[in-house]
Amino acid sequence: MIALSVDVVTKTIAGAWAWLFRGRRTRGEVVKQLYQIGNRSLLFVCVTLGFLGMVLVFQTCLQVNRITGDLSQVGAEFIKILVHEFGPSLTAMMLATRVGAGIAAEIGSMVVTEQIDALRMNGVDPVDYLIVPRFLASLVMTGVLTTIGVGAAVIMGALTAYYSFHLNPVVFLDPSHVRVGDLLTGIMKCAAYGAAVPIVAGICGLNARGGSEGVGTATTRAVISASFVVILLDFFLSGLALFTFQRGGL
Amino acid sequence: MKALQLAFEGLGSAALALFDEAGGMALLAWRVLVGLLTLKLDWRELVRSLYKMGVQSLPIVALTAFFTGGIMVIQSGIFIRRFGAYGLLGFGAGYATLREVGPILIGLMFSGRVGANNAAELGTMTVTEQLDGLRALAIEPIGFLIVPRVVAMMIALFCLVVLGNVVAIAGGALFGKLLLNVELSSFFHSFADNLKPWDLMIGLVKAAVFGLAISITSCHFGTSVKGGAVGVGRAVNNAVVAAAVAIMISDNLITMVLR
Repeated sequence: MIALSVDVVTKTIAGAWAWLFRGRRTRGEVVKQLYQIGNRSLLFVCVTLGFLGMVLVFQTCLQVNRITGDLSQVGAEFIKILVHEFGPSLTAMMLATRVGAGIAAEIGSMVVTEQIDALRMNGVDPVDYLIVPRFLASLVMTGVLTTIGVGAAVIMGALTAYYSFHLNPVVFLDPSHVRVGDLLTGIMKCAAYGAAVPIVAGICGLNARGGSEGVGTATTRAVISASFVVILLDFFLSGLALFTFQRGGL
Repeated sequence: MKALQLAFEGLGSAALALFDEAGGMALLAWRVLVGLLTLKLDWRELVRSLYKMGVQSLPIVALTAFFTGGIMVIQSGIFIRRFGAYGLLGFGAGYATLREVGPILIGLMFSGRVGANNAAELGTMTVTEQLDGLRALAIEPIGFLIVPRVVAMMIALFCLVVLGNVVAIAGGALFGKLLLNVELSSFFHSFADNLKPWDLMIGLVKAAVFGLAISITSCHFGTSVKGGAVGVGRAVNNAVVAAAVAIMISDNLITMVLR
């Protein structure tokens, strides 16, 4: 398991490097994965992040009403925390369930139907052929989906603030609290999650054993491992950002 | 003209599929309710499921909760450092964890571990025609398999969120001391003085409802699998996606109704 994991990680990074800079590309595969990972998760991410925006604004306004009653800063702070924390992390949690499960189910069923062995027999490396395109696509699409998801959350949050707490959207939609450090933190998190999810899911998929039961187990393991890796990365990157990017006036 | 027709066709079939699944879930929920009220459930399966879903999920839930507490302290820390209000750390981190982030993150992890596993298990039983085998032996799969799992998931997630809250608060206090140098006593005072039992209750109501949502989605997608190993994988995927959407929507409804 550990040997396979190390193998997959190194081969994926090497493969991605070769794809980017040495033009070793399977035609159309990355575009297909961009569609699979990005477009087909779009609705899911928008719905979940939209509801998340609603509930976060609702809770924050309740809390602020209890203490000060001045709701004018809620929007600005909401957008800030969405950019550096909840946007990337919750989008990645959603992608860990949707994309992670999808990758593990697909690769897992290829393993149990011996298609991976067939690939090897034809001299094609399964990591190069299957995981590298998903890795590259996920890296791009996590950022894109996070951006769109943050947009959905902000819009739904503004509507909630207006209808439940009569807060003017002009006051709410105030991005002035977002500093460069917040943006950097968000981008760093997106990149880390986007890289981690397909690799973790791919490892779980390649580990599938036995018939349909094995595919189910592999998919389950992929979801749980990918989600946990996201939480773990979130913790460490947030801690890192607290003492670097978000320290002082940046 | 052709493109317009295709667009409408796509929209129509997507809507039909959505209502098909939603109706299937509602029907399953109704049958579970009937089975529960008439007490037609297999008690041994209930105990077995409680052990498998509850006890065996404890390590991953505890780890998740521990880091969740840490994340909430770091996020509250950004505000608190700016305003110098170190006395509010326990309140900020506790409020967010108990009411919102704790149940959601533990619920999502539970959905990944238990919901997905359940969908995979039921899916495998469906594609290998074991459910038909049960019916042939005059054993009703709903009471024998589904009702115990639904009950077990609700109880298990409820208990896991209770324990997870404790771990998350303890983790928060620890990381508050390590990262922001807030004394443990000041953390707990600000936690205990500012939060009401209602803040805990709202999170626990959410936990039970999330348990119901996860169990219904995973049982529905598990029992409606078609087509071999590929079908099982797809069913697991659909189950976790539907569970995540259900968690987010019910979270909103509960927050809006109970405040």
